[in-house]
Amino acid sequence: MQNAKDTFYITLRNRLTTVNPSRTMVLRAVTRPGILVQEAEAPVPQPHLDAFALSWTGLVADLQMPAILAQMGCEIQYSTAGAQNNAGLDRGRALEEMDYEVLKLLYPYSAQKMNYTQNPATAMETMVFWSEPEFGPVVTLRDRLSRTAKVTVFAYQEQGEQ
Amino acid sequence: MADLSTQNPCGLAQRVATALLRANGGTTACLQMPPLAGDATNAGQIGLDAPGFLSLPLSPALFRKARVAMEDAQLPKYELLLSADAIAAQVTQLKLSSAQTLFSMASGVVVAGKLFLIEAASTSQSQGQVYLYRLLLQEASGDWPM
Repeated sequence: MQNAKDTFYITLRNRLTTVNPSRTMVLRAVTRPGILVQEAEAPVPQPHLDAFALSWTGLVADLQMPAILAQMGCEIQYSTAGAQNNAGLDRGRALEEMDYEVLKLLYPYSAQKMNYTQNPATAMETMVFWSEPEFGPVVTLRDRLSRTAKVTVFAYQEQGEQ
Repeated sequence: MADLSTQNPCGLAQRVATALLRANGGTTACLQMPPLAGDATNAGQIGLDAPGFLSLPLSPALFRKARVAMEDAQLPKYELLLSADAIAAQVTQLKLSSAQTLFSMASGVVVAGKLFLIEAASTSQSQGQVYLYRLLLQEASGDWPM
């Protein structure tokens, strides 16, 4: 299942460089696309603004199939306070831009499962696929707007895979 | 209306704060900073590679338990008072824009071999200059010796 989670993140990260190359952030002294896996970074008291944070939630395993089908819940959380040169008054527009980017990042709804524990990464035998996003309501906290989009990621557990 | 009276900051508050921190049991706290050359690989972003955090010592620092109400399943919180002189030296050495940048880059603080997470940072100022930084810390769940 970890390979599916890694594949999902790296697929979205690579798509983000095409969808919006200017959405970058500096994290641990590296300038990188503005998307991260929460469980692979240090905990922070405030969410990173203008970046997408993936967190893995639910897990359901379907054992009635020839191979175990794992369904993993993924929440894509994002927040913005708008741009400095607009004094934050464009935060609604900035959030809408991020909503649109989520739609673009997720389509097409599948990718070849990769094993990133090897260098270079190797392609596995099955695909990872996921549902359309389910957008939650906007949450307003002072000058910050946030939203969470929920996606269910499906992957077959291959033989020998941890 | 602007206050045009002459107030020349002479660093008195900074020196007093440093002396008081040292005299009242000042210790050394170490910020956990990312390595200067970060890990830009896939493995570094999915939790495979060790982050290789650097330990940045800050002293004098005063560490004490914060007076906050304890709640169920909440780890205790602590305060770390840091000398502005110590922070200014590290900000200059690392060529950062501000102390806030320094704290936001840090993944945590190690005090007496224990890791704490930074919840918030605030300052005390005199004549428009910071003389004391106050970090609100929360004990990390992992009980690793650092």
